[in-house]
Amino acid sequence: MNRAIKSRLSTSEMNYFPDEVIEHIFDFIASHRDRNSISLVNKSWHKIERYSRHQVFIGNCYAISPERLIRRFPCLRSLTLKGKPHFADFNLVPHEWGGFLHPWIDALAKGRVGLEELRLKRMVVSDESLELLSRSFVSFKSLVLVSCDGFTTDGLASVAANCRHLRELDLQENEIDDHRGQWLNCFPDTCTTLVSLNFACLKGETNLAALERLVARSPNLKSLKVNRAVPLEALTRLMSCAPQLVDLGVGCYENEPEPESFAKLMAAIKKCTLLRSLSGFSEVAPVCLTAFYPICENLTSLNLSYAAELQGNHLIEFVQFCKRVQRLWILDSIGDKGLEIVASSCKELQELRVFPSDPHDEEDNNTAVTEVGLVAISAGCPKLHSILYFCKQMTNEALITVARNCPNFIRFRLCILEPNKPDPITSQSLDEGFGAIVQACKGLRRLSVSGLLTDKVFLYIGMYAEQLEMLSIAFAGDTDKGMLYVLNGCKKLRKLEIRDSPFGNAALLADVGKYETMRSLWMSSCEVTLGGCKRLARNAPWLNVEIINENESGRMERNEEDEREKVDRLYLYRTVVGTRRDAPPCVTIL
Amino acid sequence: MEKDGLGLEITELRLGLPGTEKMMKKRGFTEMIMTSSGSNSDQCESGVVSSGGDVGKVSESPVAKSQVVGWPPVCSYRRKNSCKEVSTTKVGLGYVKVSMDGVPYLRKMDLGSSQGYDDLAFALDKLFGFHGIGVALKDGDNCEYVTIYEDKDGDWMLAGDVPWGMFIESCKRLRIMKRSDATGFGLQPRGVDE
Repeated sequence: MNRAIKSRLSTSEMNYFPDEVIEHIFDFIASHRDRNSISLVNKSWHKIERYSRHQVFIGNCYAISPERLIRRFPCLRSLTLKGKPHFADFNLVPHEWGGFLHPWIDALAKGRVGLEELRLKRMVVSDESLELLSRSFVSFKSLVLVSCDGFTTDGLASVAANCRHLRELDLQENEIDDHRGQWLNCFPDTCTTLVSLNFACLKGETNLAALERLVARSPNLKSLKVNRAVPLEALTRLMSCAPQLVDLGVGCYENEPEPESFAKLMAAIKKCTLLRSLSGFSEVAPVCLTAFYPICENLTSLNLSYAAELQGNHLIEFVQFCKRVQRLWILDSIGDKGLEIVASSCKELQELRVFPSDPHDEEDNNTAVTEVGLVAISAGCPKLHSILYFCKQMTNEALITVARNCPNFIRFRLCILEPNKPDPITSQSLDEGFGAIVQACKGLRRLSVSGLLTDKVFLYIGMYAEQLEMLSIAFAGDTDKGMLYVLNGCKKLRKLEIRDSPFGNAALLADVGKYETMRSLWMSSCEVTLGGCKRLARNAPWLNVEIINENESGRMERNEEDEREKVDRLYLYRTVVGTRRDAPPCVTIL
Repeated sequence: MEKDGLGLEITELRLGLPGTEKMMKKRGFTEMIMTSSGSNSDQCESGVVSSGGDVGKVSESPVAKSQVVGWPPVCSYRRKNSCKEVSTTKVGLGYVKVSMDGVPYLRKMDLGSSQGYDDLAFALDKLFGFHGIGVALKDGDNCEYVTIYEDKDGDWMLAGDVPWGMFIESCKRLRIMKRSDATGFGLQPRGVDE
């Protein structure tokens, strides 16, 4: 196309195309944000976009109602929903807080939506919901549940029995009541479409025969993650009838295997030449890890973070041969020395997560990692862009070095196990270290800070972290100024979560309009008072301001209602549907 | 970490009548621990905010190693399934860690499921697939291995001396050690002979 024609293709010209053509063009635009932008161009585009939108992402299930969702996007096929706030992972949100799936399934079923895919995070899911889901959507293909609870294996049985075209059943880190039933048996013999099956989080017995039959009749199965109850011999048989596996999660092998079983396992593993991702290994005898040596060079993703019984040397021995690994999740028992070896062996590393094997230092052992490991990784792994690092200590010098080595961080989450811990060498705060990170990493989208920090670190964050979308703060800062620097500076901030920091009403109330640009704000054990929260709620009716009380058994005592009373937990979020009606007694919505 | 004495409190913006300073003061981490650890020193209530989440943990020195709810930020699923915290929580229920010299991994066993030292001997043999541990318990001097245990006070004792009931109450962990290494290990002397 020459320049003249190109310059004339403005929006108005595009409208001379039939809708189908415009819709076809929109099909190439997958990102939610881009599609949201498109829908704002004009009425015509808004309408075309509405009817052609098949995938919707809802970051907060209380920001919108299912009815409004369906009204706007009647051709919905894939829905992602998130419920409880992130700090629910750390037991800071009461169990009954909310995030119920049922109203959504109910509405989608009544609206005759052709749902094919449902991805949920931190939602409360019931067996009834799963049953309704399985019966309402004929083309349903994919169910992914992450950190959900409220259901049992009976619910899984409904999904297995009724979803004729099921391709994916992925259960990640859910609390599921295992009725030790026969849910695996409920997959009909005609079900041959499975591509991904993950039930690693189930605690009970598994019907091995049913599982083997299911795997044998699923030629498209690429991902299989079994639970602890699947022993070595069974794993061998499974792998033998599914050598096409790309992603494998293994169970639990406490006992050292007989040599013959071990040999069979190794033979089966050798045949899995497409295997790229390995996980599981809770309570495993170290020798079982060695069975995977034949394919370890092919691995791009390795998750050994549940292998609490493996000692550092076993981990190192294995990981050093995983030369192509891009994603590595591991326990800190690998030690600084181990990380140095990872740094010299794993040059393709992009994402590293180091979890604490002993979070409360009960063993008094010194295998936790320090700044030494982090610096080594930053120096040795040029492609590193995402890190979650639990460590005993950190220094400013190390962070400055890391920032210099790795300016490409998108996610940087550092957790020094002891709150308020200063730089052990200089006894200073870690303001400068984190300052260096935000200054160097211009693409940083997610940041978690820890250690001794003053308001200054937030000044740096506000100044430099231009792309920051999510910030997690704990035991940090001195005055309201800290929080204000962040709110004023980080233009792209979407989620802010703060605990045990001295930020109060002044910071909370300074710019109420800011919260309309954000998904949510969490503040617990801070200095905000009931009075301040009430004032916020009055000035911002488009926010739900939730107070979660310490005393769960009842609402705040009316006669003790004191505006100056500090609020234990505050969670506020923008919403277009007003106050939710399903809040439990311990939650007060102002 | 304490920031007293700078007199900056007066510049702090806050709502509230004068005289409510106590409530408004920034809570340092150690302060929180001091106020949260109650009189019960054996089983520390986890932390300030009682959201009823974590199981109470056994903590040796409540102030130094006390826990705050949700810290460190390891998600509850992971805590229950991977950390050594799992083992510690189980101690109260009769589970102890068992290590054996020369074997690279730890095992866990439920003392409560054994009826006596004979049972224990059998269970240990099964645990490690090794015949002979049991012999150590019964016929102390003739065996390559000795079975020792760490008691509530942190002392290492030879297993088999005290009545079973007393043993399972005080045993925190077990270790099967080579006899040759045992001398000079610092085993507490038996009450009877020495």
